[in-house]
Amino acid sequence: MNEPILKINHLSKAFGSNVVLRDIDFTVNKGDVISIIGASGSGKSTLLRCINLLETPTSGQIIYNDRDVASGKINAPEYRSHVGMVFQSFNLFNNMTVLENCMVGQTKVLKKDREAAKEAAMYFLQKVGMAPYINAKPRQLSGGQKQRVAIARALAMNPEILLFDEPTSALDPEMVGEVLNVMQALAQEGMTMLVVTHEMAFARDVSNRVVYMKEGIIREQGTPQQIFENPQRQETREFLARFRNK
Amino acid sequence: MEKFAKLITDVDLLWSTYSSVYLKGIRNTLILAIVATLIGCIIGLVCGILNTIPYSRQDSVVKRIVLRLTRIIVRIYVEVFRGTPMVLQAVFIYFGLPYFTDAQLRFRGNSGMWIASILVVSINTGAYMAESVRGGIMSIDPGQTEGAKAIGMTHLQTMLYVILPQAIRNIIPQIGNNLIINIKDTSVMFVIGFIDFFAQHRNIIGVNNMSFQSATIEMIGYLTLTLAFSFILRAVEKRLDGSDSYELVNVDPLVMAAGTYSHPDRGNIFDEHSREYKGMEGD
Repeated sequence: MNEPILKINHLSKAFGSNVVLRDIDFTVNKGDVISIIGASGSGKSTLLRCINLLETPTSGQIIYNDRDVASGKINAPEYRSHVGMVFQSFNLFNNMTVLENCMVGQTKVLKKDREAAKEAAMYFLQKVGMAPYINAKPRQLSGGQKQRVAIARALAMNPEILLFDEPTSALDPEMVGEVLNVMQALAQEGMTMLVVTHEMAFARDVSNRVVYMKEGIIREQGTPQQIFENPQRQETREFLARFRNK
Repeated sequence: MEKFAKLITDVDLLWSTYSSVYLKGIRNTLILAIVATLIGCIIGLVCGILNTIPYSRQDSVVKRIVLRLTRIIVRIYVEVFRGTPMVLQAVFIYFGLPYFTDAQLRFRGNSGMWIASILVVSINTGAYMAESVRGGIMSIDPGQTEGAKAIGMTHLQTMLYVILPQAIRNIIPQIGNNLIINIKDTSVMFVIGFIDFFAQHRNIIGVNNMSFQSATIEMIGYLTLTLAFSFILRAVEKRLDGSDSYELVNVDPLVMAAGTYSHPDRGNIFDEHSREYKGMEGD
């Protein structure tokens, strides 16, 4: 279980003079489900976006397969095809049907033939319960349905690790459950996941590690029991208390 | 009332005498407008794409300089051809070419006139379309680009499969605008001898005294053409938008749906599809 997939060393990110991430260190092992929690603006999403190079880190290393992907010397699209990402705003391709959304990456990036791509797409769409909707366009779906398709799209690329950037924050409350169920099922099946979330119940029940971030710094990390039941730092306690009072 | 009756007889007379002349003008107008709009769209598309290739500080100096230069060149092209009258551009190119090549190269005869006209109208349309395409690309939600990047698409793939199909859909009204403008404005090509629909009017009224009657035919003719194309383009837009409804597909009802799939005896979802995750069971 302790085979590292991703090692992040001294990662920093600044937008101009605004430092968003400071000296982040952490390791993602195979099969890990890590929840990153923290207030808005604490750098959680930026960390995720740095990991799949949607943002270029200012300094530090991201070691994946013995290569530093943050060095700027690697083939970023190729690397991204191994690192799936699910966005808060779904980002399904509006010009394609559900099925095409799940096939285009396989045929164009992985160069699979259409038959194989369709088979895999159908497999994962069934998995997320969206197979009946393969002919629908994204605009015809609800938020929860879109997010499940987005998860299927990411899975169809057969990623080594899946990043979730607040996957339920844009959803109506009654749709949050359907997406979290899919994510929980994935976690139980051994998918390596990095989840930025405000869903504390999910972080507590599903993840094996919880990372608390504040002002661009990892303040505390540990098992869900450690973080939720026995936080070591005052600021972690305060953050969790604010959530409980909501 | 009798004036209208007279107008109708006159128009009828004109049309029965000169219908082939008018129709030839219409044909030329349509060919020039459609071909030039198509070429103009391609020019605009290329310029718009070149103009939106992103570069950042991490890129090599050569790449940055090349991209910067292309943007400047495209910008100059757009400003020059949008900022001068098409009738002047026609004269400029038609007489400029032999001037600079000491008459070695010039637009000769009928085919020369066609080439010059198509060239001028295309370049002119391209200048407008370049801006429309740039706007169309910029109007697409950045999330679409991120979604494409996140599954490993290159910039070119993102453009081809995700951004341009949506951008082009959004600029179809602009393409229609340009086509309709071109149907009307190609008439200025008379300065280099192009015989379009309006030029035929000038030819016809040169031999009789029926300016107004002929102009009536022209009005009706132009309006019919532009209305027809408005209609066609709307239909194309509708077609591209696809149906508003979709068919649900029947799937095996025994297949496990979301969140119900964690039965351990059924094995790992990645068994068939991944080498990476085989053997993860029991961890």
